[in-house]
Amino acid sequence: MQITKTTENDKLTLALEGRLDTLTAPLLEAEVVGKLDGVKTLVFDFQNLAYVSSAGLRILFMAQKVMSKQGQMIVKNVNSDINDIFKVTGFSNILTIE
Amino acid sequence: MGFNFRGLAFKQSMMILAAITVVFGLIFAIMGQKTQDILNKITIENGEETSRANVNYIDKLFNSGKLVGDDIAETMGKRRMSKADLDTFLLHSLTNARNLIPQIVAVVLAYEPGMGPETPKGEFMRLARFTENEIRLVTGANYQDKEWYSSTKEGKTSRWQEPFIGEFVPEPIAVYTVPIFQKDKNGDDVLAGVLAIDMSIEFLKDEIATIPVSNGGYALITSENNVAVAYPKSIAQGKRNREIAVKEIRGNSTIDFDRKNRDPSGLFMGTVAGGEESAVYYTKINSNNWTFMVVWPVQKFLQDQRDTRKLFLILALGGYGVILVIILLISFRVAKPLKELVFAAKKLGGGNFDVDIPKVSGRDEVAEFATAFSNMLSTLKAHIEKEKDMKRIERELDLARNIQLSMLPGAERDENSEDDRHELAPFLLPAKEVGGDFYDFFKIDNDHLCVVVGDVSGKGVAAALFMMVARIILRTMSKNLKSVVDAFNKTNYALAKRNNLMMFVTVWAGIIDLRTGHVEFASAGHNPPAVRHEDGSVEFIPSRSELVMAAMEDTVYTKQTYDLKKGDTLFLYTDGVTEATNDKDELFGNDRLLDALKRGGRQNTSDTCAQVKRELDGFVQKAPQFDDITMLAVKFNGSDEPVWERYEKTVNVAENDKGVLKSFVQDILTPMDGAKKMQMKDAWERYEKIVDVVPENQDILTAFVEGILAPMEGSMKSQMQINIAIDEIYSNIVKFSGASEVTLIVEVRKATLSARLTFIDNGKPYDPIKQADPDVTLPLEEREIGGLGIFIVKKTMDSVCYRRNGDKNELAITKTL
Repeated sequence: MQITKTTENDKLTLALEGRLDTLTAPLLEAEVVGKLDGVKTLVFDFQNLAYVSSAGLRILFMAQKVMSKQGQMIVKNVNSDINDIFKVTGFSNILTIE
Repeated sequence: MGFNFRGLAFKQSMMILAAITVVFGLIFAIMGQKTQDILNKITIENGEETSRANVNYIDKLFNSGKLVGDDIAETMGKRRMSKADLDTFLLHSLTNARNLIPQIVAVVLAYEPGMGPETPKGEFMRLARFTENEIRLVTGANYQDKEWYSSTKEGKTSRWQEPFIGEFVPEPIAVYTVPIFQKDKNGDDVLAGVLAIDMSIEFLKDEIATIPVSNGGYALITSENNVAVAYPKSIAQGKRNREIAVKEIRGNSTIDFDRKNRDPSGLFMGTVAGGEESAVYYTKINSNNWTFMVVWPVQKFLQDQRDTRKLFLILALGGYGVILVIILLISFRVAKPLKELVFAAKKLGGGNFDVDIPKVSGRDEVAEFATAFSNMLSTLKAHIEKEKDMKRIERELDLARNIQLSMLPGAERDENSEDDRHELAPFLLPAKEVGGDFYDFFKIDNDHLCVVVGDVSGKGVAAALFMMVARIILRTMSKNLKSVVDAFNKTNYALAKRNNLMMFVTVWAGIIDLRTGHVEFASAGHNPPAVRHEDGSVEFIPSRSELVMAAMEDTVYTKQTYDLKKGDTLFLYTDGVTEATNDKDELFGNDRLLDALKRGGRQNTSDTCAQVKRELDGFVQKAPQFDDITMLAVKFNGSDEPVWERYEKTVNVAENDKGVLKSFVQDILTPMDGAKKMQMKDAWERYEKIVDVVPENQDILTAFVEGILAPMEGSMKSQMQINIAIDEIYSNIVKFSGASEVTLIVEVRKATLSARLTFIDNGKPYDPIKQADPDVTLPLEEREIGGLGIFIVKKTMDSVCYRRNGDKNELAITKTL
């Protein structure tokens, strides 16, 4: 999985490419945990992401918890398959999906 | 031991005493009355006896006096006498009279004025009187107003006058007066005068005093006017005659005694001269109308009566005392051992069975009771010992029954054999004495369900133990060998080899292919199961019964088959159902069983068993249940999945043995027709990959699966979901199982775009399906992140199935691409 990081003032955009699964989730975790100080808006761009497993959901869950306190978190360009996963797991209620 | 006032002895004594008191009281009262009557009678007799002689004597005397008077008066009436003649006549008459009756002391003649011999116009009275041994003649006067004269003149009849002290005779006298009639010139009777005979009554006092009367009594004579005429001097005490009155006591008042309207003789209570209360017996003296009385002062009169009563009372009290003592003795003789028995019984009631029963000698009821009590104690002791033994045996039987029941799977969840393709419900009701019935059900693999029902010969702990062994061996054999017949053969051999107790077991077992309803079964001497079809018809399935298990080591069983159709319910049971007996010794039997199943209709399986049990209860009613009642109902729901036949062949790749594989496939395909050939062409392809359990190998597995699935050109989405499933399952194995190796078997069927992935790991037992689903509706703050992986798999895959196979976990998922 590739992670492309873009910072604009207090807005951090993480564009993911490939699969967010058990093996790749630690990469994303490394980019997120403890790296969100001063970030008011966190955007996940799933334009090129194939799928998300529960390991990935865990990272999104952690990030959402942090961002709920200090700003907002947006997940955009979600394909229908991933959206299905979000729906099934109730994550569509937790996340802000554009 | 204190005296018990509510005790038997006291109550009994008091009741007997009360009864005796009543009896004594009655006797006392009756005796008193009788005594009184007898005494009265005696008194009257006594009085009569005393009176009779005296009254006769007085009567005789006064009658004689009367005769003398009447005789003189008659003589006087016949002629007029001169004074001298008269004197002579008077002297003569008195002398004659006194010769007859010495008590006559005077003869008196008084003329009406003018009628006398001397003074033609005046009164004339002359009397002859006896004094001091001589008779003198005396002249009287002023007599006309005297009572004795006037009363006789007016009454013109003779009579006895009230006694009085005479004018010329200074002593108490009784006077008999007679009117004297003379003929006048016309011949008519004319009263000429009155003759009086004076009779001294002083002698009566002497007579009275000498009359002997019992009990301190005395005699008394009263005149017509109730004036005492004669009485003992002792009672006078200076009183004059008139003061010596006789009074009668009536109730509380005292009245003068009046004899006029009474019987000539009788008895009454009264007083004499104001003296003490007395009993008085009276008799009329006819001649002069006087009364003769016998008087007993009451104190003395009642003395006898009192003496009698006193004696009676003393006797009664003495008897009373003696009876009391005897009663108390008897009562205590009875009560004492009873009290001791009560004491012993209380101890006994407190659980002390070593209590001493008091010995009671004799042969009465108390002694019998003590003996009976003693016998009861020893019997009770023996009984309780026996009961303890029985209890122990019963406890052990209960234990055996509990073990028996707890060893059997209660519901499908216990066996993890639930799926949509069948419903199953077992039922076992053990008899009081534990029996050897059992049932069993378990999955051989995902598609094969094994159902068993059996019945060990005999009852009790031995049967229960034998049953458990038989069941475990059969279960293990069936799971490993995946063939009923093989399992039967092996189980029979194992059981028969060491069957010293010569027990045997009947078993029916079948393996149901849940995809097709095809049943392979064998029967070791067991009843053929029944089946209820979806249309409601029922029948026993053709089941050939072979030799029971554990009888012969080398018994070989044969495979039998039956095909369940969709909606069929297979009903297994033991003879506890068909041979249940009612109190008329009738068996429930096969026909009633089929009827019951028929009536069960389209009920689910547990209700089918309940329906049979209900009808069984209605039939048996109150007859005891001698045998275990065991039932097992399986309904085959059928499967919507297409049915595939599956063939498997493992070859050694190193030897490159293509010929073997080819003939394997040909062997399968040869007997098939065209359609089947087409099907076979699209049969399952099987791929297998074994990896070490390290996280990185997930990619290897994902690539392995993608490599197989990609050519099938399924949807991207399915592919992606399968990848996620691999990720979730494999990462779970890595994290939790502790396994060292994972085998992934991929089976695909191109014709239907079906894929099945089976993960086999050698880790610790772990069934991810059992994990509870997370609540995905909770808000962010309350969400837990665990458990999502398997949840996603369950949601996205067509089916997920887990089983523990030996020391391995097998998790299978299917997905249409």
